Amino acid sequence: MGRRLFLLQVPENVPIVAVARDLDGVDIGEIGPYYVIESDSPIRIDRRATGVRHAVWYSCVAGLDGWRIAQWDSDALRTEPR
Amino acid sequence: MSPLDDQHLVTGVDHAAFPTFDPAGTVAFYRDVLGFPVVHSICAAGWGPDDHPDFIHFFFDIGGGDRLAFFYYFGLAAPDTSVGTGDVYARFPQDAPDWFVRSRHLALHVASEEHLLEYRRRLDASAWPVEMQIQHETIESIYTHDPNGYMVEITRALRPVTPQEDLDANLTIDALVDIASRPGHTIDDLLVRKAELIVERAEKWSAVGEAR
Repeated sequence: MGRRLFLLQVPENVPIVAVARDLDGVDIGEIGPYYVIESDSPIRIDRRATGVRHAVWYSCVAGLDGWRIAQWDSDALRTEPR
Repeated sequence: MSPLDDQHLVTGVDHAAFPTFDPAGTVAFYRDVLGFPVVHSICAAGWGPDDHPDFIHFFFDIGGGDRLAFFYYFGLAAPDTSVGTGDVYARFPQDAPDWFVRSRHLALHVASEEHLLEYRRRLDASAWPVEMQIQHETIESIYTHDPNGYMVEITRALRPVTPQEDLDANLTIDALVDIASRPGHTIDDLLVRKAELIVERAEKWSAVGEAR
């Protein structure tokens, strides 16, 4: 099982999950009302590709399972193994 | 066991109260600029054992039956606001960060963008123009400071709050309570603990939601 990143299912997070869905080796699932972004290798989501404004971007992560956040700035959200 | 034991009984803000040293400016800002009616006031002679000054306690209607109240104390010297930052109730050193000073504020709700922009229009035509207009995650707000230095926000919802956001809020707060006693805790600790709570509870919540 890969490491998991959780995002709440709200309209503001949809573009972020859409970008994650197109990444190599990333599976998008769900648990309850959360998106589960699962991968064996580190995830890098480009903020500009998501088009979300800063307030949404900097509050989009709901939980970390196996990942640590290595970068979370105006360029990207990037994880590394814990 | 009382039948009220598990009831959420309060019905809103009766009043939130603040001191003022500028009653004329305060009335101009809330009544004349924003249009909040004066709905109550108490003229009281100082009494009690602790040398209480004479005072006026006055209230503005802020909608929904809620009120914003001020105390004006006769003869009480105003704080020196020429140095430092903050408001007339709480002063901070000049180098105190704005995000901290601004974290205590009053936010009033409006129903629509049209209503938000109407308050923006009123403020911009006054001595207290809007300082910021910001779209947050799910709300849009305008901000200014009243004559007392208190930060006032007027805000509208960009969309209704969804039920899953209530679940998420509760998981966040349970995670925060769980990690808050750990020395040196960070948001990383919170997001790890919250992931555990999501795995424990989120699936069940979905089942409950579907059963309704």
